[in-house]
Amino acid sequence: MKIIEAHNVVKTFAEGRESVQVLRGVSLSVEQGEIVALEGPSGSGKTTLLSILGCILTPSSGEIIVDGQRVLRDESVLPKIRRKSIGFVFQQFNLFGALTAQENVEYALNLKGKKGRDARIEADELLDAVGLSERKKFLPRDLSGGQKQRVAIARALAGKAPLLLADEPTANIDSPTATQILELFRKVAKEQNRTLLIVTHDPKVRAITDRVLHIRDGLILENP
Amino acid sequence: MIDIARKILLHDKMRFVITVSGVAFAVTLVCVQVGLFLGILSSAAVTIEKADADLWVTSKNTANVDFSIPFSENYVQRVRSVPGVERADNLIVWFSRINLPTGVTEGIELYGLENFTRWNLPWKMAEGNLEDLRRGSFIVLDDSARKRFGNFEIGDFREITEHRVKIIGSTQEAKSFTTTPLAFMDYHLIQQTDPIALAGNTTYVLVKLSPGADAQAVRSEIMKRLPYHDVHLKNDWAKLSTDYWVSSTGLGLNMAITVFLGCLVGVVVVAQTLYTSVMDHFKEFATVKAIGGSNADIYKIIAKQAVIAAVVGFMLGAALSLAMQPLMASVELTLILKPAFFGLVFVGTVALCLLASAISFRKIASLDPALVFRS
Repeated sequence: MKIIEAHNVVKTFAEGRESVQVLRGVSLSVEQGEIVALEGPSGSGKTTLLSILGCILTPSSGEIIVDGQRVLRDESVLPKIRRKSIGFVFQQFNLFGALTAQENVEYALNLKGKKGRDARIEADELLDAVGLSERKKFLPRDLSGGQKQRVAIARALAGKAPLLLADEPTANIDSPTATQILELFRKVAKEQNRTLLIVTHDPKVRAITDRVLHIRDGLILENP
Repeated sequence: MIDIARKILLHDKMRFVITVSGVAFAVTLVCVQVGLFLGILSSAAVTIEKADADLWVTSKNTANVDFSIPFSENYVQRVRSVPGVERADNLIVWFSRINLPTGVTEGIELYGLENFTRWNLPWKMAEGNLEDLRRGSFIVLDDSARKRFGNFEIGDFREITEHRVKIIGSTQEAKSFTTTPLAFMDYHLIQQTDPIALAGNTTYVLVKLSPGADAQAVRSEIMKRLPYHDVHLKNDWAKLSTDYWVSSTGLGLNMAITVFLGCLVGVVVVAQTLYTSVMDHFKEFATVKAIGGSNADIYKIIAKQAVIAAVVGFMLGAALSLAMQPLMASVELTLILKPAFFGLVFVGTVALCLLASAISFRKIASLDPALVFRS
């Protein structure tokens, strides 16, 4: 089953009086349970593509289907798709500084509709799955980079989203920790049959992927 | 449900303290200013409210109880002849001068009746017997006069426009909005103190209705018989006397400006701190959107923070205002803080804080969730 389908996606941004075409007709598809890396130089359009696939931005033209849902230009439907089908892991972790690790995960569950004791139990299970149950009461400022990224992964897994999108998840952590994080990604993707799309510059990521896509100047160069 | 609004708000304690202090300051300012105003206003019609009279007959267009205008005391007979009137008596309210032992002459507001106890004036005696007033050249002074006139004892003598009078008692709570001390003297004795204006004249006729009498009907009948006078129901007269000071002087406007400035201070402080908080947490709010939240979810967070600041600030401000009550009393100022007023201030505080938070809504509406990808 295809979890992502993109056909001839174009994205144009206005810059002053001029418009810049960042994506120039991207087509790709990703199967459920697949781990895919998206590589490309800075300015190639990979973050824009990730934003569109993650229903944060809408394409200027083209068609996107995520988890069986057609992504329309109507931005009001995007939060619903993000809640149901997508989990994000960011380069800067983007954890809520005022919430503990447990609360960060629980809050994501709250937004996805799970409340109260059920949310608390699932948050604990997710933190246990990423090996962070002993630090669940810690605020982000008291966690290391690797631990923060584990919390971010637990948060992305919340609500059983079938699609995980990660933006440079190893960029802000040291090499041994990055290896552990990638192994964690591989484990959760394979054990839980989740699709993982990782935007990266890090060659270590290739070790866990099923395939690698290259993007340059707004075009996918390789689409096996 | 994780209370992210409260946690973000309390996470930055210094900012929270500043926000709450701003609200508390505004609430205190409004409560104390309005409370003092109400305290001063409470004396504007206190004698009307306390007197056991259902109707007051006044000269035409008398503005308030203190600014009385003399008219013939014989009109009381016409009032007494109206069906439904149980009793009617003349009352003189008159400004005069009192000579003090220091040689200073001060103003004094005299209330004169033939029978004080029948009309419940004055209503709170501290010393002496009211019945004695009709037995000679006697006067009963209110305790609040001590500040202006200096201390006095029962048995002391004072001079009212060259009439030597003996102090035979004192009252409490009898005050005038004009701040001129109130005193009570026999009706005929007051007439003697100013015969040019008061000989054969009164300034009011107090009317007590018979049980079951229709106040409006009696009023209409008195107005027919005294067409060049006004006849007020007790509450209307009290309101008229109070409203005079609010609307005919700058006091009402002054109070409105103070309340407006207090509200403005609160709104500006809350709007400013919430806005900077939103800017500081902009990326976190973008994350809320990225992980499935909507603009409405973020509006709720900001609105809840505003409500928390409003509630905590109000409680602090209200407590501070209440704590100032005895302090004000010690300097002879009355601070009236009623539960209904606190309720109104509370609702206003929450509404204004929500209004202040709405300024941040515009920023959130333009929030690009793609911000989460930027470092």
